[in-house]
Amino acid sequence: MSVKVEVIEGGIPHTKIMIGGLVATIVCLYLSYLNVVTNTGLFSFFGGLAVVAALIWGSNTIKVLCSYGIGTGVPSAGMIAFGSGVIAMLLATKFGIAAPIVALVLAAVIGLILGYLANEVLNMKIPVMIQSLTELAVVGALTLMGFAVLITGSFTFTGLTTGSITLFGMITMPSYQVSFIGGGLVAVAFLLGSIAVQHPFNACLGPGWKQDRMLMLTAECGFLSMIVAAVMSFALISAGAAIISLLIALIGWVYTYCEYIKLSKRDAFAWLDAKPIPDVEGH
Amino acid sequence: MTAVAAKPQSGKIFNPAAMVVGLVLLLILVGVCYVIVPVDSRIMVLMVLIGIIVGGVLIGFGVHFVPVGGAPAAMGQAPGIATGVAMLAAGAGLAGLFGGAWAADQGLLIAVITGGIGGGLMMAVTCMMVNFVYVFGMGIPAASGKVLKDPITGDSQPEYKSQGTEGHGLPFVSFVGGVIGGILGGAGGTLIYIELLGLYKATLPTVMNASADLVLPIAIATAGMFAIGLFLVNAVLTAYNITGTIEGPHDPKFKRWPRSVVASAVASALCGLVAILIVVL
Amino acid sequence: MEQIVFGIGITALAGALATVAGSAEDTESNIGSQGDPNSQVQLAPQMGFVHRIFNKAVAGEPPAYALWCALGAGLAWAFLAMHVNAVLAIILGSLLAVFVQGIYSTTAYLGRTASLAKFGQPVYVDILKSMTTVAMAHAFVAIFCTVTICYLINAALGHPFPLPLLGFIWGIALGAAGSATGNPFYGKERQYQNQKFGAGVPISASGNIVRYAEAGERNSIDNGYFTAKFGGPASGLCFGLIVFLELWRTILFEKVGAGWGAIIVGILIILVFTIIDRYMEVWARKNYGPYTAPAKEA
Repeated sequence: MSVKVEVIEGGIPHTKIMIGGLVATIVCLYLSYLNVVTNTGLFSFFGGLAVVAALIWGSNTIKVLCSYGIGTGVPSAGMIAFGSGVIAMLLATKFGIAAPIVALVLAAVIGLILGYLANEVLNMKIPVMIQSLTELAVVGALTLMGFAVLITGSFTFTGLTTGSITLFGMITMPSYQVSFIGGGLVAVAFLLGSIAVQHPFNACLGPGWKQDRMLMLTAECGFLSMIVAAVMSFALISAGAAIISLLIALIGWVYTYCEYIKLSKRDAFAWLDAKPIPDVEGH
Repeated sequence: MTAVAAKPQSGKIFNPAAMVVGLVLLLILVGVCYVIVPVDSRIMVLMVLIGIIVGGVLIGFGVHFVPVGGAPAAMGQAPGIATGVAMLAAGAGLAGLFGGAWAADQGLLIAVITGGIGGGLMMAVTCMMVNFVYVFGMGIPAASGKVLKDPITGDSQPEYKSQGTEGHGLPFVSFVGGVIGGILGGAGGTLIYIELLGLYKATLPTVMNASADLVLPIAIATAGMFAIGLFLVNAVLTAYNITGTIEGPHDPKFKRWPRSVVASAVASALCGLVAILIVVL
Repeated sequence: MEQIVFGIGITALAGALATVAGSAEDTESNIGSQGDPNSQVQLAPQMGFVHRIFNKAVAGEPPAYALWCALGAGLAWAFLAMHVNAVLAIILGSLLAVFVQGIYSTTAYLGRTASLAKFGQPVYVDILKSMTTVAMAHAFVAIFCTVTICYLINAALGHPFPLPLLGFIWGIALGAAGSATGNPFYGKERQYQNQKFGAGVPISASGNIVRYAEAGERNSIDNGYFTAKFGGPASGLCFGLIVFLELWRTILFEKVGAGWGAIIVGILIILVFTIIDRYMEVWARKNYGPYTAPAKEA
């Protein structure tokens, strides 16, 4: 998973990140299809890796968009990304194995139209608006699909709407209520993704913004979301598969969090512990 | 926040060519819906799509009424509520959706009005508590910075504005605007939810090959998720329209509402079409 | 009849929990300095005012609390589906949600402060170590109470929405109510304590937040202590009233008048609050008086 770790040089051009993120996400989503091939849930963790890849791409898009001073805060961009993404993703799941590609195309169309509306009808006239909103909608849809795979093991409509409940510890019955959509977990994934996609730029905002620090924070947010999503997946997939996802998420999170602290130490003016406010002249 | 490149100043507010393109897009989307759906359920599905569009427009229009001051309001430098507009509107509208969803069994009209009242109630309590904090906690009377006299009560505003600020608190017209915004947002969100719920309850049993009672949770959860997603899209588009802050219906920025109505209509039609296609395709 | 009495009991409990949740939410967001007042904490070093305030820039309060509460509710839902006891499920769900909240807070502080290196704002590791856990504790109270409200509404009162969706809705409402009520109090009264009481902050004073105060160099726990005196309870009252009145009018009146009863009661409640608000506005104008003499009609 070199895309997430090679963020050492600052200033990677956005197109490279976009292509890298898109390819990595789609590849990871299709690798999770091994679940169907092997008839287990053991490959669900690829969904979490798809989430991390998509979020890295998305956070850089938000950086490109919000550098233009759109007047509202950064979190709104995350909300509109996932608002349009969830709609595209839910329809795309009906297309079986082609679901990720359909989600990509459909979300791109929705994002394109929303971008046109924002730029021309609402007269915002920001150069990157249309492209950014298109990218954000795709990021939203693919991230949600990644969460769906992580939590349920599949990205098809049937997989997301069916689960089973165990009565008296023995009898299992199909239940639509214990499922990704029926149980409302799609709402949790929506929020996990939308906060995680806007947090890195929002948190590293300032004159000392550095791209590698932001992208490392994105990876950390992605793995953190993967941890809690893996805990939620215990209810829907087998314990073994969920434990694999949880372990991978924990290892990834600990690594990226430590790296992020190291990068913050590198960039900070001073790293003080229980020291008073330094005397700055004039104040 | 420092901007890399400042937004170029646009001379006139409205872009007539784009508005026309938007309306054409709207008609195309409705037409696509009409064509794709099998003949016998055409009218029902078309009514659902119209309902979603109307709901989206209500949300988009209603958010213009909500008084939001942003960061300066948190320091008593600008009137309005010190929160982001999309999120405050979403809070009120979703509280309304909560009430409307509960009343879903009692028919469309009652559910939508209940949703509206729920949103209005939340905004009324919130706006009153905002003024409560300003008056009793900070000793600051409410004053608007954009008008000389409150349009509803006739109170004069300039001398109650503290020096160096643009106004503070919630003058009565802003309070009324907030309540109206909550009502419209709650009603719009509930309308979208009820329309989609009706559609899914009718069609999901055949699509998923199961009885109506079993798929009810799926119908409710999917309709609810779509309603929330559409709500956020419309609220953020309106936030872009008013560029973040607005004092209420008396603010000059309020005149920009036609742009938002067109944008919300097209966005809602598009997303509504996708929501409908889930059960049609 | 029994059904209504049961419903009223649940409503009262939910109202009380909501008041606690609102109060804890506002205190937590002021300890972390989240939301719109945080723009001043960000601005201060750029104007030369270096400080020891926790700069928690995790979106605004509504979306952040929507996430914590929905996450808590989703995890509780997952534990409930695994047949864990309901109370334990809610506690575990809230615990994990608070863990996520704490991590987000620390990364926000580190990120923002590191990006302000140009202005000489140091990263204070002791602020990170002492404030984060206090904020997490308050957040746990807020999240736990909200998730419990959602569970009660879903399980005891029979609302059709699943638990995570309710967590989303009430989380965003909690954040909006707490943010609207508590932000001006923190922003004007505490951050700009050195400005004159009874007037807004003039634009010329932007960035000049209070950094040295009653107990030496001010830090965010002092702000939490201040919030708990007025802003916190006011926010609690706001959110508690919202939850209680919304549930109360539905439980008692939804069967009256084929659904119109609840609507009419809702309209009456809105009118009552409008009258209270107008009374407060007029009272303030009369008792505080204008800042300057009224402008003569030209």
